[in-house]
Amino acid sequence: MSQAKRVLVADDSEAVRTVLVTALTQAGYEVAVAINGNDAYEMGQTGSIDLALLDHLMPGLLGIEVIARWQAEGYQIPVIILSGVDDERTIVDSLDLGAVDFVRKPFRLPELMARIRQRLPD
Amino acid sequence: MNGTRIAFFAVGVVFAVDTVLLLGLITLKTVHRRRMERHDQRRSIYLGVLSRRLAFPLHTDYIDPEVARDGAFLDAVIDLRNTVAGPEIDTLAGIIDRYGLVKRQAARLRSRFPLGRRLRAAVSLAEMGDESSAPLLIEFLSDREPEIRIQCARGLGRMQHTPAIDAIIERFGKESPWVRSRFADTLVGFGALAAWPLLAYARVNHDYDDNAAVVEAIRVLGTIGERDIGPPLSDLLAKFRNPELKIAAIEALGYVGGPLAVTPLVAYMQDHDWRLRAKAANSLGEIGDPQASPALRLGLEDENWWVRRNSAGALAGIPGGLGILHEALHADDQFARDAAAEALADCGELGKARERQEQGQATAADLELLGFMIEDALVP
Repeated sequence: MSQAKRVLVADDSEAVRTVLVTALTQAGYEVAVAINGNDAYEMGQTGSIDLALLDHLMPGLLGIEVIARWQAEGYQIPVIILSGVDDERTIVDSLDLGAVDFVRKPFRLPELMARIRQRLPD
Repeated sequence: MNGTRIAFFAVGVVFAVDTVLLLGLITLKTVHRRRMERHDQRRSIYLGVLSRRLAFPLHTDYIDPEVARDGAFLDAVIDLRNTVAGPEIDTLAGIIDRYGLVKRQAARLRSRFPLGRRLRAAVSLAEMGDESSAPLLIEFLSDREPEIRIQCARGLGRMQHTPAIDAIIERFGKESPWVRSRFADTLVGFGALAAWPLLAYARVNHDYDDNAAVVEAIRVLGTIGERDIGPPLSDLLAKFRNPELKIAAIEALGYVGGPLAVTPLVAYMQDHDWRLRAKAANSLGEIGDPQASPALRLGLEDENWWVRRNSAGALAGIPGGLGILHEALHADDQFARDAAAEALADCGELGKARERQEQGQATAADLELLGFMIEDALVP
């Protein structure tokens, strides 16, 4: 039996965290939760994260700053950025810095889950 | 002796009263904090239950109808309303309907509660964005409290309830500048749907003494940026008498006019009012059509500094405009030369000329610009 993939959800909104944790757990993923950028960064350093869903604007480090630090330290964690801001600059910056996808908030849950499945094939 | 006793007694009484008041305050704060903590705990529980409903539509967690009375449940619903989109919104709408959340907040809004509770009801209705509350929100666009009117407009904008556009615009002339500007934000959110009603409002009301509301309406038109209203707005500009209205329309035409607005805007480059000439130069720059270049070249020699500055700035962004600015460095008119040089510096041409000079690749135009700037002591 294969080990469950581990997804990090980092967002300062409790509603976002709760919805994502509920949906991901039901879909069979193991979920780690962070409420700010600093915690997310530290959790990524454990090396046990298969995919991270990072809020663009959260207390402490921004989502893209977390990606930059992980990359500087050699952690290749696929990241999907969640953001309430969807101007072109934010999207381009996120993708340029190594995010694999960008999802606007409020998000469509089935669509986001499909994007996660695509990044984490069985 | 008696006096000393009385003084001690008075100090003791003051101390006792202060202590009682302080303890009362601490107790109240503690009670309030614990209440908020319990509220947040319940909200977290509701978020979990509602999230299961959203993630698995067939989920059958029982939700006690009494939760509709709990503000924490309402907060959880609103939080989720701001978190998810698409079909999950329908699921939430079903929950809002089943638990009578709109009806409950509507009753609060209609009540004689103090402003704070009525305002919270208006904010909740706006945040829920449920279509069933639209008639109520339209009705309360004329509430006596400005903040409630603002929230009602916001809610109508949030649900994109198009029949509300006319109702919001109708309030424009009756509102204070602050409320009007908030209504304007809502109308911008409606986008192109609000453009024609706003134009109609400007057309009907521009002859009245107080034109502030029409000016705001025209500004909203510019922000919305619906190109189809360019030609009728040009026609309307010709009918305006008030300079503030003209300035607003000229500015809006820069965003919505397109090439068709070049001719009327060029005509305003000859107006006796320098504010109109300056604004027309700006708008011609926004449109960016080279047809405007001759008029803007003349604008470099205008008697007013703003007109010269805006004309030069506009030329810097128009195809072929940089060549005109370089040529203007030889103009007889000193003002035109300065305006051109400053615009070339502002748009980065001076910096590029310096770089090319440092690399030994400066063109004749580069050397001319650098020479002009040093000669006129515009740069060290």
